[in-house]
Amino acid sequence: MRLSPLTIKKIRRFKSIKRGYWSLIIFALMVTLSLGAELLVNRRALIVHYQGRYYFPVYGRMLPGKTFGLDYNYETNYRKLAKVFASRHAGDWVLMPVVPYGPYENDLKPNRYPPFAPSFADRHFLGTDTIGRDVLARLVYGFRIAVFFSLALLAANFLIGVSIGSAMGFWGGKFDLFFQRIIEIWSNVPFLYVIIIISSIVVPNFFMLVVIMALFGWISITWTIRTMAYKEKAREYVLAARAMGASDLRIIFRHIIPNTVAIIVTFAPFAVSSGIISLTSLDYLGFGLPPPTPSWGELLQQGWANLDAWWIVASVIVAMVITLLTVTFIGEAVREAYDPRMHTTYE
Amino acid sequence: MNTTAAGEIILDIRHLSTVFKTDEGRLPAVTDVSFSLGKGRTLGLVGESGCGKTVTALSIMRLLPQPAGQIVAGRILFDQMDLVRLPADRMRRVRGGRIAMIFQEPMTALNPVQPIGRQLREMFLLHAGGLSPAAMRRRCIDLLQRVGIPEAQRRLEDYPHQISGGMRQRVMIAMALSVAPEILIADEPTTALDVTVQAQILALIDDLQQAEGMSMIFITHDLGVIAEICDDVVVMYAGQVVEMASVTRLFRTPRHPYTQGLLASIPRLEHPAKSRLETIPGMVPGLAEMPAGCRFINRCPHAFLDCKTPPPLVDLGDGHSARCFLYGSGRESGA
Repeated sequence: MRLSPLTIKKIRRFKSIKRGYWSLIIFALMVTLSLGAELLVNRRALIVHYQGRYYFPVYGRMLPGKTFGLDYNYETNYRKLAKVFASRHAGDWVLMPVVPYGPYENDLKPNRYPPFAPSFADRHFLGTDTIGRDVLARLVYGFRIAVFFSLALLAANFLIGVSIGSAMGFWGGKFDLFFQRIIEIWSNVPFLYVIIIISSIVVPNFFMLVVIMALFGWISITWTIRTMAYKEKAREYVLAARAMGASDLRIIFRHIIPNTVAIIVTFAPFAVSSGIISLTSLDYLGFGLPPPTPSWGELLQQGWANLDAWWIVASVIVAMVITLLTVTFIGEAVREAYDPRMHTTYE
Repeated sequence: MNTTAAGEIILDIRHLSTVFKTDEGRLPAVTDVSFSLGKGRTLGLVGESGCGKTVTALSIMRLLPQPAGQIVAGRILFDQMDLVRLPADRMRRVRGGRIAMIFQEPMTALNPVQPIGRQLREMFLLHAGGLSPAAMRRRCIDLLQRVGIPEAQRRLEDYPHQISGGMRQRVMIAMALSVAPEILIADEPTTALDVTVQAQILALIDDLQQAEGMSMIFITHDLGVIAEICDDVVVMYAGQVVEMASVTRLFRTPRHPYTQGLLASIPRLEHPAKSRLETIPGMVPGLAEMPAGCRFINRCPHAFLDCKTPPPLVDLGDGHSARCFLYGSGRESGA
């Protein structure tokens, strides 16, 4: 596929906005790393060398302790296994990830009570939370959930918003009026109460939460796309397409929506950041994803309740600031790259 | 009446009336228009802005702005079908496939976010299903070459903003001709272009029409263009047909005072230098304040008492007719 020269121009312009460009690189790196989080932050070992054989327990079935000559049938504790191997001097070894803790795992110590402060010796780089789970592990897995949650939410919102919005703008008339009233009524339903009521009846899982939030999130993009579709519909190429015998749906999908892509792309980064914020705040209030799902909101709430364990609150806040800042910078740069007023310069 | 000088009729418009519903009520944009297009012939539709030329064309295509524009009476007969009453899905197959239209503004009539090759291909997808992608590509290149676009192969990937206005109009023509329509409606296709390009595009349209044996309705306000490429002429004024004739008759013996005024207002080489440019005094009446009688009454140099009642279209023989009381005793003919 050949990119349109205008698109190339926009990409070049985006790259020239250094803040946004670097934010994109950082954010993309963070997302990529979080996709491979199991290789970086995991209670399972990366490689185990035992009696001449290699094991790769990261992805795959649970390996019981007996596999490695231990005396239990539940999942191997690889950190202890490493110590056992080290004391035996039999040439066996274990390679652990950088952070050798899982997000659900309580690392308790005799005669001490969590939260434990950050410690490089224990490899709890950001300490543990109030029940001994590694903060970094929960941050990383929580980030992954939050990002994919907001991407799923964005996809759902835009799917509903773009289809209804372009239909409203394109067909106009009674159809448009009807949906306008529906939206006005619907947008007066208090979102937070609905969430509270629903999550007091059923514990929402990931997809349910996406669906519930999409029920309330499609409205703003719908208005915007409606306006754009109205504008595009009046342009002559739509009449020309009609004169060529194109059907309404074909005109909407082949002509009008591609012409609103600028708006969709410009909205997307801001939608991602607002998605992260809403999930975090719902989790903070305890109405989001059920515990023990790793979540920034839940960490924030713990940290707020235990301010003397400052590392919890500090880590979450730093992580949130970095994430939201990069996403917002990306959004700003995209918006600027798409700004038509910037394209009147001659090269 | 309504037979053209030669041969078979392909499109017959009878008593077409189109109104626009607005806040000021129903405005008659086109009233009782009848004319017919002979097969393989070019019919010119002339008149000043707002006289209903474009509305007539859009009525034929059933593309009036919705929901305001509506055909309230009349029939448009094409291939034993009445286009006014044709179901929407069948009308869609007629549009583009059998009756194509090109527009005034080549700048805006192409989708700005799609390469022109893709837009051309769309015509084949809509009306000539079953072509392989390679065959479609070949036909697109062939079409672009036929409308005189150099380096057609490379141009397929170009976006509309990368080519000039004249080129864009050529692309529009290529799109209109891609599936060999029987009728081409050209709505002021050269108005937005500069004069040298205008001549090229006119010559191109003329050539292609001859080659394809297509019939054409050519809408313009430029009598010079009419003289150049049309066989028959329909002169419209304030939503009505005021005169129609073959092009030679119309230019030699214009009958309706409006047509006479139009012809007189063309500057001519034989006019003495710096002489005053002829104009038709007054303004076209607005759609809301149409006079009850002859619609040209307020600007007509010959207006008399009879003109307070609507004049009929008087048959002057040989396919020539004019809507004026100056000719004939009046009521025996009509539209």
